[in-house]
Amino acid sequence: MEKPVRERIVDSYFWKDQCFAVNEADIIDRVVEHVKFVGGTYGDSQKPSPFLCLAFKLLQLGPTDDVLQEYLEYGGEKFKYLRALAVFYVRLTRKATDVYLFLEPFLEDKRKLVMRTRTGKRLTFMDEFVDSLLTKERMCSTTLWKMPSRAQLEDEEKLDPRISPLGDIENLLDSEPEEIDGGDGSDGNGRNRS
Amino acid sequence: WDDEEEDEDEVDDTDDLDPEAEYAAWKLRELKRIKRDREAIEAHEKELEEIERRKNLTEEERKAEDDAFLAKQKEEKDSKGKMS
Repeated sequence: MEKPVRERIVDSYFWKDQCFAVNEADIIDRVVEHVKFVGGTYGDSQKPSPFLCLAFKLLQLGPTDDVLQEYLEYGGEKFKYLRALAVFYVRLTRKATDVYLFLEPFLEDKRKLVMRTRTGKRLTFMDEFVDSLLTKERMCSTTLWKMPSRAQLEDEEKLDPRISPLGDIENLLDSEPEEIDGGDGSDGNGRNRS
Repeated sequence: WDDEEEDEDEVDDTDDLDPEAEYAAWKLRELKRIKRDREAIEAHEKELEEIERRKNLTEEERKAEDDAFLAKQKEEKDSKGKMS
């Protein structure tokens, strides 16, 4: 997280009131009680969201993989915003292969989330949120460290290909007309200049 | 935090209001992602093929290709003028 954001967090009332002397179990209570949307800073005053404050708290606490697994799985099943917080934290702190392995199962989680940005609230979904964390450079007022793509890691044999819960994707996709693009030999040089 | 602001532009995040539609919407998102990822891989493979092909060219052939490319680039730039 960038310094200005961190400063806004520690200056915020929510931080002072709700994030003092909080342990890993308290985090769950705080999320359940106060996190009603995901997001970074919002509004004209760029107020940090409870979500972001608690993410910052997690950065200080540095929970182990086991604790994260609890947040993600059991806790996350019950409380979607707890899962959202945990996936965000994993994205910030774990190495690329682990990020993919931890996060991808939740591309199946279609639950709704409210996302609050500077301009207002909008609907998003857990799977969309996770996908954005895997593919975007910036989320929730936080620059995400540059991760190698999944394909890269597959090439290096650090990851097995992901199997979508939809099963045999070939059939689903191949039913759409394939694009014919120049065919072989033209190598993207579609322009005809003789 | 939760003392003000509520109720102005509320977005409802209640799940399972219409499970079938929600599943269908998710499926569409998932398909789009798969398609996007696959297209990225295809583009990457194409690039590798091109690199491989270039490797197999002679020095002269490569130079000729580069010159042609630069000329084309220049031509496009000239004809376009400014970014549209």
